[in-house]
Amino acid sequence: MATDAGASNAVVPAAEPEVDLTIHPSGIVPQLQNVVATVNLECKLDLKNIALHARNAEYNPKRFAAVIMRIREPKSTALIFHSGKMVCTGTKSEQEARTASRKYAKILQKLGYAVSFKEFKIQNMVGSCDVKFPIRLEGLASTHAMFCSYEPELFPGLIYRMADPKIVLLIFVSGKVVLTGAKKREDIYRAFENIYPVLQTFRKGGMIAAPEAPAALPAPQQQQQALPVVGAPAPHL
Amino acid sequence: MACSALYRQSKLGQSLVDALDQLVEEGKLPPQLALRVLDEYDQVVLDALENKVTAKGTLKGHLDIYRYCDNVWTFIVSDATFRLAPTQNSPRRDEQEVKVDQCKIVVVDQRLAPNADKE
Repeated sequence: MATDAGASNAVVPAAEPEVDLTIHPSGIVPQLQNVVATVNLECKLDLKNIALHARNAEYNPKRFAAVIMRIREPKSTALIFHSGKMVCTGTKSEQEARTASRKYAKILQKLGYAVSFKEFKIQNMVGSCDVKFPIRLEGLASTHAMFCSYEPELFPGLIYRMADPKIVLLIFVSGKVVLTGAKKREDIYRAFENIYPVLQTFRKGGMIAAPEAPAALPAPQQQQQALPVVGAPAPHL
Repeated sequence: MACSALYRQSKLGQSLVDALDQLVEEGKLPPQLALRVLDEYDQVVLDALENKVTAKGTLKGHLDIYRYCDNVWTFIVSDATFRLAPTQNSPRRDEQEVKVDQCKIVVVDQRLAPNADKE
């Protein structure tokens, strides 16, 4: 898949997939980066036996009470617990999460466990995208103080806790946005469409700042004059 | 097998075991003394590998299968290339390269060796 995408990009860079503007008015589609799912296999598991017989498994009960198992296709990691509950992480879509979970269940079945496949549930989805313009995070933080936490000394991104849909967004000066906490893909899309117009208003050197510039032309001159005075203690000495 | 006795399987260790076996069979050496010698060998090899060896080796390859259980890592690596750099005071100056289609690497945590002995 990756090679296909690379090849098509190389030949026709302009051939981007059509974006459904009814769902994505911004024209930007957040890409899913990680999907976390859980499933109940309803079967007690002997973790040591699994670690000894399955491929690509780690089991260190002193550190963590689960077998960590990986498969290459779909690329993913599973945490398998004694109780028969399993967490599957690292996939890029809901469908991949399901097929990966099924593959892990199949591996356990081959080791002789009577596994079932119950209560499969997507627990979290992470998406990311790039608005391709820099953002004034301080401005956003002060006007949306209710939802924002911005402490550049602790973390360079602004943390925006949206109430509806209940999604957490990490917004960076560069214009890169990470959306997390979603149970459904649509929540990520909705959250991004909610935030996109807001980000546009806080574009660095953008629409708000631009019209003000001509009116404030004398100001920079004053500043330029003021600066040497402030920074010049030498004449007194 | 106790971790510290792992190196009895090496060429050097096997030769020593063979030699001691022969001496014991011929009645020239009491079996207890042979075991004592092997114990000494285990200690010395561990010490030498840890403190005296300056040679470096690197391994590159495609990791097909890995496993970690009971403090032992197992790796099955295909298309592996071992590069062995010479030791500081060895007359050899060139780097040796060994290529294999597939190899199995078993790694034991050295710090756990004394505990493993007691268990």
